[in-house]
Amino acid sequence: MASREIVRYKSPARTMFSALVILFLIVFFVWTVLPLAIMLISSFKDLLDAFKLPAEGDWGGIGVMFDFEPTGAHYVELFTEKNFGEYMRNSLIASLGSAVVSVFLGSMAAYALSRAEFRGKRDLLFWIISTRMAPVVAVMVPLYVIFRSSGLVGTLPGLILAYTTFNLPFAIWILKGFFDNVPYAIEEAALCDGANRWQALRMIMPLVAPGVGAFIVLCVLFGWNDFLFASIIGSGGAKTLPVATAELVQPVKIQWGSIMAAGVITTVPMMFLGLLIRRYLVTGLTMGAVRE
Amino acid sequence: MATVTISDVWKYYGKTVAVKELNIEVRDNEFLCLLGPSGCGKSSTLRMLAGLEFISSGDIYFGDTRVNDIPPKDRDIAMVFENYALYPHKTVFENMANPLKLQKMNKVDIAERVEWAAKMLEITELLQRKPVELSGGQKQRTAIGRAIVREPKVFLFDEPIAHLDAKLRSHMRGELKHLQRRLETTTIYVTHDQLEGMTMADRIAVMHEGVLQQLGTPSEIYNHPVNEFVAGFVGEPPMNFVDCYIERQDDAVALVNDSGQMKLLLSDAQSRALAEKSADGVVRLGIRPDDLFVEAGQGHGLDFTAKIFITEPLGGDMLVEAELGDDRLTIKRKIADMGQPGEACGLAFNIEKLHVFDRETGEAFF
Repeated sequence: MASREIVRYKSPARTMFSALVILFLIVFFVWTVLPLAIMLISSFKDLLDAFKLPAEGDWGGIGVMFDFEPTGAHYVELFTEKNFGEYMRNSLIASLGSAVVSVFLGSMAAYALSRAEFRGKRDLLFWIISTRMAPVVAVMVPLYVIFRSSGLVGTLPGLILAYTTFNLPFAIWILKGFFDNVPYAIEEAALCDGANRWQALRMIMPLVAPGVGAFIVLCVLFGWNDFLFASIIGSGGAKTLPVATAELVQPVKIQWGSIMAAGVITTVPMMFLGLLIRRYLVTGLTMGAVRE
Repeated sequence: MATVTISDVWKYYGKTVAVKELNIEVRDNEFLCLLGPSGCGKSSTLRMLAGLEFISSGDIYFGDTRVNDIPPKDRDIAMVFENYALYPHKTVFENMANPLKLQKMNKVDIAERVEWAAKMLEITELLQRKPVELSGGQKQRTAIGRAIVREPKVFLFDEPIAHLDAKLRSHMRGELKHLQRRLETTTIYVTHDQLEGMTMADRIAVMHEGVLQQLGTPSEIYNHPVNEFVAGFVGEPPMNFVDCYIERQDDAVALVNDSGQMKLLLSDAQSRALAEKSADGVVRLGIRPDDLFVEAGQGHGLDFTAKIFITEPLGGDMLVEAELGDDRLTIKRKIADMGQPGEACGLAFNIEKLHVFDRETGEAFF
């Protein structure tokens, strides 16, 4: 790591700056956490409690927001009446499936692009990443037509394929950086030891594991949080959590409690995933970038 | 156990020629050293032998089998890399077991072989460690261990001890030579360190700019270099070179340096070897530091009087750099008080050990 502690010298300006930093952090914390906190609390309130708000400027009345009987009714409702178990499964399959497919294909492509020298390699690499330069909306209509005529609309494989088209270029680029950092000699040693190319690739996979791990998480996040693909390609048979949540907003009745609960069950797994692999993710994403 | 034949091998990188028309025959169980400065094509040659590099043209045979189109895994070679190339996520044991695992040997036999190799290399107590926990010398032993666990046809060493410190390097030279004698396996060893070649090899192939300069035993290479490059590359401290012209006196031939202060009368045999060269021919004289004599002060009775430039004591021996006219010569002798820089000293040549090279082509006359 190239970072190191910076020497600070005490001065009035520095003291003031420190105070400003603390102030900023407080504002930032409230800004970030408050919506999540409101979502979490509201998901346990019934409809009446949810709209009990203190009058404007009445800071003392803030206790009103916490004055409610916690109820799990919204969660129960989501999983019993609204089929959220299935949507959650769809989300999981679509995001994980695409992550696995992207990493599998991506690592093979990245390995080849990292190791082999051939004419047009730079152009090929640029072409791969350029597919990420167009906004999703721009390709959505033609993609929908193609998917529909292939019978992929409303199916999980269709959704996995759609996510993979977006994850794969990214996978190739990131993983290529990791492979570039693995000394060629290690594979050559494997080849001399009696391994074929495939076995040699498997031999160096543990060395790019942090990258693969980090990348799987990014893919899962993309798929899990996606709304656009899911609402258009996945509509019908492969409904995912974000789409299902959006459908709770009905013309006659906006089901705030259920929406909040759905928001919680969509957010929490990814937050835990983030906590779980935090260390991993940071080393993974920076390792590819810097040469030791 | 195999001979290795390199026949008319060329290697190009784009338009750059790395190896030119190389022909070497390595005998069974021989320790052959490919010696040369960096960029001379020695590593490319080794990598072509391993199958890691495409052979641009020509053929390589192991025994009677042409291996050009055989991938490394089927060539039955074991290679030790300059940077060891250990698998960082595996223990020493797993590193060494890897080639056997790939051969699908059963676990009991693998353990036995690895332990045998570890014992031989004295790394038994390190078997459960990971490469990061090893010193340079231990890593290198592990890399060698990985090569010797199976019985390959050919060992390929690519500067395996170049990164060790000097003391360990000199120790490992002996160890490697001993190991090779014991395992009796054809070995091809690439190095840029002439000392490694001289001390370990049965024969040395000196390469320069992709071309094989000379192939011979260390003694042949040292005593009868075929050209100026080989003469200058092998030997420490390196050979002295003095630009000379030929002066004929009746039948005898003398070499005079450009400043005219040195005149050496050659023996009959040497004169004959130079006969084809015209009277005003210019040549380059080569003489090893061990074949010069130097004495301090005046009244030494030696042929020439030179001037001390600097002295470098080496313990028991010393190097004396002396100036004779415009030429500076390095002389190796037993340690003695040679006086201060700038003082006079006596200098003489061992005429029998002179080498004479063509100044243009570098070819040796003798």
